[in-house]
Amino acid sequence: MTQLIWNGLFVGSFYALVALGYSMVYGIIKLLNFAHGDLYMLGAFSGFAMLGAMGGLVKSSSLVALLVVLVLTMLATGLSGIVIERVAYRPLRGAPRLSLLITAVGASFALEYGTRIVAGPNPKVYPVRLNGTSLNVLGARVTLQQLALMALSVVLMVALNLLITRTREGRAMRAIALDPRAALLMGIDVDKVIARTFFIGSALAGAAGVMAGGYYGKIDFLMGFIIGLKAFTAAVIGGIGNIPGTMLGGLVLGLLESFGTHWVGGQWRDVFAFGFLILFLAVRPTGLLGERVTERV
Amino acid sequence: MKKAALGVALTVTALVTSACGQGILGGDSKKDKGPILLGMDIPLSGSSADIGPYMKNGGQLAIDELNAKGGVLGRKLQLRAEDDACDPKTAVAAANKLVAAGITVSVGGYCSGATLPTLPVFDRAKIPMVIPAANSTELVAQKLKHVFLVNGTGDQQAAAAIAWLTKSGAKKVAVLDDNTSYSKDIAVRTGAALDKPGAPDKTSLDAVTPGESDYSATVTNVLKGKPDFVYWTGYYQEGGLILRQLRQAGYTGKFMVGDGSVDTKLVKIAGDKAAEGTYATMTQTPDTIQGAQGWIANYKQKFGAEPGPYSTQAYDAVRVAAEAIKNADSTDGDKIVTALEGINGFPLFSGPLKFTPQHTLTSGGFVILVVKNGKFTLQDALK
Repeated sequence: MTQLIWNGLFVGSFYALVALGYSMVYGIIKLLNFAHGDLYMLGAFSGFAMLGAMGGLVKSSSLVALLVVLVLTMLATGLSGIVIERVAYRPLRGAPRLSLLITAVGASFALEYGTRIVAGPNPKVYPVRLNGTSLNVLGARVTLQQLALMALSVVLMVALNLLITRTREGRAMRAIALDPRAALLMGIDVDKVIARTFFIGSALAGAAGVMAGGYYGKIDFLMGFIIGLKAFTAAVIGGIGNIPGTMLGGLVLGLLESFGTHWVGGQWRDVFAFGFLILFLAVRPTGLLGERVTERV
Repeated sequence: MKKAALGVALTVTALVTSACGQGILGGDSKKDKGPILLGMDIPLSGSSADIGPYMKNGGQLAIDELNAKGGVLGRKLQLRAEDDACDPKTAVAAANKLVAAGITVSVGGYCSGATLPTLPVFDRAKIPMVIPAANSTELVAQKLKHVFLVNGTGDQQAAAAIAWLTKSGAKKVAVLDDNTSYSKDIAVRTGAALDKPGAPDKTSLDAVTPGESDYSATVTNVLKGKPDFVYWTGYYQEGGLILRQLRQAGYTGKFMVGDGSVDTKLVKIAGDKAAEGTYATMTQTPDTIQGAQGWIANYKQKFGAEPGPYSTQAYDAVRVAAEAIKNADSTDGDKIVTALEGINGFPLFSGPLKFTPQHTLTSGGFVILVVKNGKFTLQDALK
């Protein structure tokens, strides 16, 4: 039982980290960024390339190397996020919502098959693997590397929450989310703030990608697709656009999958997860912590 | 989008097999001088991309040998490989390309899930298929006249798995598959055999969705039954992850994989320590066959590399196809099928060939491999 909960929380923290970017972008410009899962994949691959470039240095101190690579990757995917926003989304900002959705799908394919051209279609195996000893916590088997990765995601999430609630930058984001035109009139550089939002969201996805690479070991160019859908589900369950809600949604989804597998078997895991998405959309479309926004006319 | 692609594929099939196909497929006399084309649908990209080149090389080796002896029916043979990416949609497109190119026999097929939808394409064009590697029982379940397997079926692989489980004294066995045609076939048959009295106990028969990274939920589920032997019947990508996650969850029992996971990438993904001692049910590979040294030397000399899994099966498939064309004394599909059914005692790597009425091998030829120092080596020939 505790093992099931632990498994769920661990997977859930990955989902939450990826889902945050989804949720932030949706919150600020009401765009479902379908390319977001692929930024996770891009993070995993750029981490792989950096580790490969570092070569022999890596083996001696793998955790330190991973941390350095993690930071560099966050920069790289963050910048990619900005580029995608500039090229694919900004020119269409005034266009109907549907056009934006389609370019997002296009951006997703461009990233996937672009990576395939550069890195090849075969799965890659990370040169650095986290091998930790395991502890017994209340009957659940918990490894040190899992704890480290989870701590890291919690730190990233807390930092993000502070950024949004406590800083000028965060206040600007919230202002744009409420009313972009009024924010503009108040002297906020809307384009710049949106670009920064993409940077932060993409950097978080990239971080999750590197963490997944170091933990699971195998990466391939289509790995972002399923996790993109899962992150979207997590965001909807928690309340899309709502940051604490999204984190909660990730954890809830992880737990749902863990218990779903336990009750009905592994082949039903995705049916269970996405079935819940439908249920949520039908019963509580705003998610667990989402509020019903009254549209002002 | 999928539907559109399928629509295009179907239209192409329809065109090729109906009126427009006549010129290509009809035995017009102009073509009787040129080389006889053999087509091969194999994964050259995608999840099983490592396997394709081995099969292509194996087939090419057989073709070069036959051509050196003057070819078949006084004509040279030529191999034409197409990439099926181990994906059903791509495979159908590739099969249509081969049909349009006017191949006489198809000697390809690795992933069962991708090979299945190509069967009607070839069958409608009256092109016999000698499938070297794909081995789901579903391939012959449709009872298509033009389909032949020169690899053991899922049935035979499951039997080999049971034989080894009993022999190595397994008590509680968990079976795990990845929901694809090939994998499910072996898993279900192994599970059914485990339910019979006298066999080891079955603790669970579970499946995972391929393409994900975290299988810890399934792993916890599998370990609930406290098995001392886990049999994974899917491909190496998920197999490596599952093996690693089983070991991380504290599993110390034995692990065995089906032939789709026999690849050194499995060891890389799982990590050397976790993978050491992993068993595999596998059709014979050149390095596990006694008396194949000469063949391996030829292969190395020609391609500058060691032969890999399924190069012998592809080599055999080409030779069987050539033999049938020779016996039929024609490139007509139906005559070749009759010739294939009539083959008796033709020497293959896995033993003398005689097809069963279902067009499968009379004996499966499965062996047990074990991972030693990061490499698959022969453990037991199950003779």
